[in-house]
Amino acid sequence: MHIPDGYLSPSTCAVLYAGAAPFWAVALRRLQRRLAGRFVPMLALVAAFSFVVMMFNLPLPGGTTGHATGVALATIVVGPAGSIVALSVALLIQALFFGDGGITAYGANCLNMAIVGSLVAWACYRIIAGRAPLTSRLRVVAAAVAGYLAINASALCAAVEFGIQPMLFRDALGTPLYAPYPLHIAVPAMMIGHLTFAGAAEAVLSAGVIAYLQRTNVGLLRDTAPGAVEDASLPAIDVLRPLWLALGALMVLTPLGLLAGGAAWGEWSARDLADPAARARIVAVSGSAPLPSGVPHGLAGLSTVWTAPLRGYAPPFLQSTALGYALSAMFGAGLVLLTVFAIRGMLLKARAR
Amino acid sequence: MSDSLFDVRGVTFSYDGVPALGGIDLSILRGERVALLGANGSGKSTFLRLLDGLDFAQSGTIDFDGRTLTPGQLDDSSFAHDFRRRVGLVFQNPDVQLFNATVFDELAFGPLQIGWSSDEIRTRIDAVMESLDIARLAARPPHRLSMGEKKRVAIASVLVIHPEVLLLDEPTAALDPRSQSEIINLLSGWSGGTRTAVTATHDLSIVEDIADRCVVFESGRVAAVGTPREIVQNEELLHRTGLLHAHRHRHESGVVHSHPHLHRHGDHHH
Amino acid sequence: MTAAVIHRGFVEKTLTSLLHALERASSSERLAEQRGLLQHVDARVKLLGCLALIVAAAVSRHLDTLTLLFAAIAILALVSRVPLHLLTRAWAIIFVFTAAIALPALFTTPGQSIATVAGIPVTLQGLRSAAFLVDRVESATTLGLVLISTTPWPQIIAALRSLRVPAAVVLIIGMTYRYIFVLLRSAEEMFIARRSRSIGRLEGAVRRRMATATAGVLLGKALALSDEVYLAMQARGFRGEVRTLEELRMRGRDWTAGALFTAAAIVAFWQGLR
Repeated sequence: MHIPDGYLSPSTCAVLYAGAAPFWAVALRRLQRRLAGRFVPMLALVAAFSFVVMMFNLPLPGGTTGHATGVALATIVVGPAGSIVALSVALLIQALFFGDGGITAYGANCLNMAIVGSLVAWACYRIIAGRAPLTSRLRVVAAAVAGYLAINASALCAAVEFGIQPMLFRDALGTPLYAPYPLHIAVPAMMIGHLTFAGAAEAVLSAGVIAYLQRTNVGLLRDTAPGAVEDASLPAIDVLRPLWLALGALMVLTPLGLLAGGAAWGEWSARDLADPAARARIVAVSGSAPLPSGVPHGLAGLSTVWTAPLRGYAPPFLQSTALGYALSAMFGAGLVLLTVFAIRGMLLKARAR
Repeated sequence: MSDSLFDVRGVTFSYDGVPALGGIDLSILRGERVALLGANGSGKSTFLRLLDGLDFAQSGTIDFDGRTLTPGQLDDSSFAHDFRRRVGLVFQNPDVQLFNATVFDELAFGPLQIGWSSDEIRTRIDAVMESLDIARLAARPPHRLSMGEKKRVAIASVLVIHPEVLLLDEPTAALDPRSQSEIINLLSGWSGGTRTAVTATHDLSIVEDIADRCVVFESGRVAAVGTPREIVQNEELLHRTGLLHAHRHRHESGVVHSHPHLHRHGDHHH
Repeated sequence: MTAAVIHRGFVEKTLTSLLHALERASSSERLAEQRGLLQHVDARVKLLGCLALIVAAAVSRHLDTLTLLFAAIAILALVSRVPLHLLTRAWAIIFVFTAAIALPALFTTPGQSIATVAGIPVTLQGLRSAAFLVDRVESATTLGLVLISTTPWPQIIAALRSLRVPAAVVLIIGMTYRYIFVLLRSAEEMFIARRSRSIGRLEGAVRRRMATATAGVLLGKALALSDEVYLAMQARGFRGEVRTLEELRMRGRDWTAGALFTAAAIVAFWQGLR
């Protein structure tokens, strides 16, 4: 997933650098305030660890092996600010010294992997693990989900960055100047590998290491688990947890539903509504309720957000409004999740006062 | 002003409830060379860290030149500056001691922290590299140094600030005999006047070269104090404190016998 | 394939990549100490110069400009004594990798059909798009290789420092590089020990636990080491503020090199955007 130089336009790279900069600044300031000088060796060692662990060949279920980034692991042990800086440093050394990832694309790679990865991993881990005891199985599950979703969120960001290149940057003949694949090819091409192998590798690494630390070095989990119940016999109560889990599951299942093929109920595309045979099927599964005639304007407008630049060019078998729909759904769910998380944080702060 | 530089009274220390030091009383005199002898886990490394103000006594006190070492005292920037300039500690593990990108950066780190000028730093680094014969290593990253070179650079990184007190943790551990003797030559030159050295070691063969006085540690307590000769000849004490073990030994005739040894493994006994 | 073979596979594969990283690092370190054209130039000039040329390659909208730029970069690499076999190997690997990624674009990119392969039309736009991608990636990667092969790592650190990257961040970067080698060695030792201890058949779950336990041990080691290193830094007077020596001085030839880099970048920009 390390984007090399040449795949993204310089302007995209500049925007992504600018997008990453405030996160770096805030993360560094927080670390400096909380840890004083200690953050220097700590981040250096965590960055070195991330670098080395990326070379591990992890045995995956099914007999294959895969590589992981360790982003969820770093986040769980040193928190999101530490993980953002440590992974960015590891990525810099990979880019400068080992040619993994471009120099112009460094901002993009940091935003995708270090920043989005750490924040998604952090949100998942904190939401799922809640106040569970440090040695609870729930924390292992939380780590696995955090790793899986973090790497997939990173891959999705990269895929979208690739996918918008041919829309925005073409020469006079219509030649794509950078990554040549539009969203409806770039997204599935990236996501299939990440939803399966890379996601599994990340989940295996995160869960396995957290389980190992629970047995041998539980102190390392303490910093990022404030309010964890000390006595394992007491249940950790969080009434909102089932909601979080459901929302998380939805986010995971959205793209899976897409891969399963066919349109699920409620996911009809504008094309389905225009096609008489598809209309008949929709009416049948909807309990014969009448459908509006033609395509609703709103839906037609929405579906072209993602696919408009492609219509009329791409071969028909590659055109997919469902894809745009799935993308919107994942982004939407992510936004909802972050908003609710922020509100909850504010509520907790207010209650503490 | 008394002659003692460090005054240690009733010091205890434990890691997460595991006791490491159980009541140490000791004075270290100005200009004295002291060897702290003890088996692994006897508390000598912990003691060095307390002397260097990196950890603090949980009960009892350590005074340095009349001032008690406390976290508050070391937060005071003028005291900390003075203390760090006068006292240097060389960690046992060179991977801990050498954390910079190159040998040159390593040697510059200490002087920069205590605020010397650039010219002063460069002159001093050149002198130290010359005297330790490491000038050719200046641009090397630490991972391209041999173990003996790493140890020399580690010692140089502390000698560069010209400290009054040198604290050394196992300076000859994990070295081949040749590098060992180089380090010993270096340390035996460090003596007299106002220069003080405290060396933690379990290598009995070097103590007469590097120390005027030996302090034997046993499970976090001082078991004995004496001259190197007195300590080395006290076999009962050395056995009891784990510094000596019966050495099984096969002669060319094929006869196996065992005897206590005071020499490095690899030396020939007769 | 038996479980034992698979298991051996993942340990061996990890060991190979660990060793490979160590080798790659030390071979470019040795190269950087050689005497070629760019080795004599200030690291800041090289860093900014290479960056300008990478951006020039990235903005170019013409294949001919891009190809000329690539040729110029290749010559720069050769006169800086980057060994030809290293260059050709890098070019071949990147070509195969990038071409594999770009190949479907020949067919999927809409536009003017110029040929058909197995009944599927190849478009001119698709072909040009693939050429752009390969050309850009080759140029940028060659520049990266030139930079690393002619600049010892400590000089890159010094360059970052004098380019106003915060001192604490530069210290972290230098320290990371330092400890990557320590952790690579640790990981290597653990994997070798595991390889020699386990000969029998192992279940998938056992293999996974073994790999993740190794990562867990390594993480524990890394954090313990960071505590110790912090003590060692404090022992030498570190109190949270990072201070550094001004090391780099620009000499005549550095200014000349900077001027040449700038001129080359301007020509490349102008030709690339014409």
